[in-house]
Amino acid sequence: MHRILQHPILEIPENRKKVRFFFKGKEFYGFEGEVVSSALIANGIQIFNIHKKGDTPQGLFCANGQCSHCTVIIDGFPFKSCVTPLHEGMEIFPLVHLPELPGDDHPLTKHRKIIKECDVLVIGGGPSGLPAAIELAKLGFSVILIDDKNKLGGKLLLQTHKFFGSIEDCYAGTRGIDIATILENELQQYPNITIYTNSSVVGIFKDQKAGVFINNQNYVIIDFKGLIVSPGAREKTLIFPENNLPGVYGAGAFQTLVNRDLIHSSDRVFVVGSGNVGLIAAFHALQAGIQAVGICDILDKVSGYKVHADKIKRMGVPIYLKHTVLSAEGDGQVKKVTIAQVDKKFQPILDTAKTFEVDTLLIAVGLTPVDEFYDMAKEFGFKVIKAGDALEIAEASSAMFGGRIAGLQMAQMLGKDIHIDPGWGEKVDILKSKPGKIYAPVDVNLSESFQPVIRCDEEIPCDPCTSICPVNAIKLDEQLGNIMDIPRYLDGCTGCGLCILICPGLAITLAKKTDETTAEVILPHEFIPEFKLGDQIPVTGQEGEYLEDAEVLKIRYNKKYKTYLVHIKTSLKNGAKITGIQVQNDSAVLPIQNTSFEYIPENGIVCHCEMVTAKELIAYIKEHNIRDVNQLKQIRVGMGACGGKNCAVLLPRIFAMTGIDWKEVTQGTKRPLSVEIPMYALINEEDID
Amino acid sequence: MIKSYDIAIIGAGSVGVPLSLYLAQQGLNVLILEKLQSAGRGQNRVAIGGIRATHSDPAKIKMCLRTIDIISRIEEEHGFDVDWITGGYLFPVYDEETEAKLKALLEFQKHYQLNIDWIASEEVDKLVPGINPEKLRGGTYSPEDGSASPLKVIDAFYMLAKQNGADFHFNEEVTGFTVSDNIITDIKTSKGHYSAGLIVDAAGAYSRDVGNMLGLDVPVYPDSHEAGITEPVQRFFEPMVVDIRPEKGSANYYFYQNAEGQVVFCITPDPKIPGTDSDNTSVFLPQVIKRMTQLYPRLRNLRVRRTWRGLYPMTPDGFPIVGYSKDIDNLFLITGMCGQGFMVGPGLGEIVTEIIVDKNNEYDDILKQLTLYRSFTGEEMLK
Repeated sequence: MHRILQHPILEIPENRKKVRFFFKGKEFYGFEGEVVSSALIANGIQIFNIHKKGDTPQGLFCANGQCSHCTVIIDGFPFKSCVTPLHEGMEIFPLVHLPELPGDDHPLTKHRKIIKECDVLVIGGGPSGLPAAIELAKLGFSVILIDDKNKLGGKLLLQTHKFFGSIEDCYAGTRGIDIATILENELQQYPNITIYTNSSVVGIFKDQKAGVFINNQNYVIIDFKGLIVSPGAREKTLIFPENNLPGVYGAGAFQTLVNRDLIHSSDRVFVVGSGNVGLIAAFHALQAGIQAVGICDILDKVSGYKVHADKIKRMGVPIYLKHTVLSAEGDGQVKKVTIAQVDKKFQPILDTAKTFEVDTLLIAVGLTPVDEFYDMAKEFGFKVIKAGDALEIAEASSAMFGGRIAGLQMAQMLGKDIHIDPGWGEKVDILKSKPGKIYAPVDVNLSESFQPVIRCDEEIPCDPCTSICPVNAIKLDEQLGNIMDIPRYLDGCTGCGLCILICPGLAITLAKKTDETTAEVILPHEFIPEFKLGDQIPVTGQEGEYLEDAEVLKIRYNKKYKTYLVHIKTSLKNGAKITGIQVQNDSAVLPIQNTSFEYIPENGIVCHCEMVTAKELIAYIKEHNIRDVNQLKQIRVGMGACGGKNCAVLLPRIFAMTGIDWKEVTQGTKRPLSVEIPMYALINEEDID
Repeated sequence: MIKSYDIAIIGAGSVGVPLSLYLAQQGLNVLILEKLQSAGRGQNRVAIGGIRATHSDPAKIKMCLRTIDIISRIEEEHGFDVDWITGGYLFPVYDEETEAKLKALLEFQKHYQLNIDWIASEEVDKLVPGINPEKLRGGTYSPEDGSASPLKVIDAFYMLAKQNGADFHFNEEVTGFTVSDNIITDIKTSKGHYSAGLIVDAAGAYSRDVGNMLGLDVPVYPDSHEAGITEPVQRFFEPMVVDIRPEKGSANYYFYQNAEGQVVFCITPDPKIPGTDSDNTSVFLPQVIKRMTQLYPRLRNLRVRRTWRGLYPMTPDGFPIVGYSKDIDNLFLITGMCGQGFMVGPGLGEIVTEIIVDKNNEYDDILKQLTLYRSFTGEEMLK
């Protein structure tokens, strides 16, 4: 079974009900209620269906109900396996080409139209939607909150790491999953909030109503006065050969599998993209016992926070800057991935190619706002506000604060006379700041008592270490005058270790001199220790450079922070340099001897729903003199299940490859429905739960 | 400098684009002015794709027979696969009144040698397996009618017209005309000036605006119809199914399965939704899906993928306007297709080309029937 059996942060639920199901007639077991795709992957099944174009195998792709890659036949009916709960006795078959519509001919006896009313409809119960709904409910508005997952929290639910920001404004130092619970508990206190989970808004209509697909079974029309659009973001994709192989998917899909569903979905992953999402995905892989073989980024500097990148490097994951992915390879499942360095024009230098044996390639090349409902509502002249990633791609910390403001702004729009603290807007701006200047590391001289050594030298919006310290021994070095400033240790450390425990970057250690040649260092460790007292373990400097093998003196576990504190005995010269424990062996990350790849970027798929390659698109655009994305529908681009959500972000690049300025090109028209709905649900043939 | 053409067509839609091909094939220098971004960007791309010759008047019968002939051969002759399917049209009948109405029409349609007949309910069930059998009386069926992809058809005509020298100007809106001595001497657009021996108004839903610029009353009043498309599944029924029974809120609705395996459907709202607003409302989906699943319960498990609204450029009597203007000597009107531009356009394009180029008078009856100067008091039976 490919399941995660132990995890340093996540609880492995016990007593889950085991159910039997069949795939291609063979007996398998999964857990009642988990999504079918996860049950399949847990049983080592990666190929869910065969696309009619080129008999191409397809596996999980968005893990989010947005595309139809994971469609399987369950008891005779086609279902998107990533949003369909598993039940006892299901007979599952891979879908081959087109499904057959079952001859379900009993006459229609029940149907009805369901309309519900509210003051404000909030689309998306994630880091920005939840606070927005709470603020509105506090002011007495009736709120309907729609979320497409079975649990509220959005991406917070996938975040096993501690958050950046400040404690007061956005729960800095608390893990995303725990913040989700805090917000949900607060939300539940308000009877004027109606929550629909497992539900998707599928369209905003001109008559100021929204269509909502509820529980895969019903269709409800919601009459609203105001609309908050906070559905988050979708992941961008990349064009390279075999980018459609099962095993190539977004970092978000991976986090869903691993952190939500506790599936050991891979043995070895490679990550494209060094933004915070890519960096964290690699970290999450390691926590789940999955090897993170490397991260590459086409830019010459890490896109995410330096503390994140440093942390990943300390764990033993190499980051290849100025590198791009050339190809994936495999037979119905990723087996190899090849990367190469790029030149100044971002063209790959093929001589530098390195091939890695991995079974999964995670794409983390950025996010794009899900804001089409906002645009539609705006066009129709409705009262609408967007919040979170739908407004601007940024950290969840700023989304939470921005969500509160959005809620209050909506209240104002609906006529409530309230005051919004002007300082809040400024705080949001700071929280969503991109990393700033990097300062030179400080030399620290150890004394005979513990003191924090802070390896956090890039300006980022984060300061929980300063507020947690009971003796105020850590202060921000006031350069900018806000939480972007760098924390510095002043004096008076009591050795309590709270700063180590709360630091999201795992960038603080406590160290002291024990004698003229040795030191004792306390390191935070977010893994289940694979060592015991007295063992020699490899320890690294700030950026992952190996320093020495150090003896384990003590291992403590802090339950509140779910973090181990590992005391080690080191040489004095390295005492202040040691920042982390290497958890992944060097041998795990080596490329294979013989590179193997075929570099034909045009063979990459652009439209995954209809399997249209870059080559086909470029030829069609040239031959037909296309200047209007809508014309691409003639070759099915934008006609698939996802409605152009995935390919739209790749089209500017495709047009650029044909020499056409994207600004001259008319954009594709967005029409409802954003998610496919069976007809029985549209007429509510079955009763609403 | 004013650029001069033999013919200037206003509108690169279902009508203007095929017409431009046939005129260009005759060696004429053809300009097409289109205010939108590409060929068929107006109502063509929102058409659902049905093509039938089984109408209730001689002009449309003639034009659509031609269209079927053209579309069914376009792949063989020009290499464009336009997803033509000879699936036929089926009008299932559940009540006496509809039966009488359709049977009366049959006589007329047979008179025009159309392949259409009454079929028994068992035959209906064979064509649409699982169709609601309760009170099913049978229906009329015309096996030679069919469907094609509007997107692919317009692209084929556009490519062929370009190959034949037609000059397409997109994103260029006609803003006015200079008329002297009953002749248009200058076509003013958002980008320049043109002159042409003959100006063809193929502006569809926007023909009234074009007419207004010329002081003509062209009675084309668009109203909205709503359509949708499902996920693709294996072929499970053949014909275009048309249910003409009216119900509260809607008149007829119809659906078929296209070459991709997707079911495409459309409904006629009642009362009409006049105007050019094509934004979706929440009314359509529950309304049409209830009717479709009542008629054909098997559809209940099919997932709807997308919906949209399109305009029917309607005339008061439901028939197109085709012919020369009496007020302006070099103006030819070919508009007001009443939602059938896709099926009428190619055939009509060929016919109008013969009228314009050959001065062929074989079609005088069509011109007489469809003249702008008729009383517009008749009524289309099969709309």
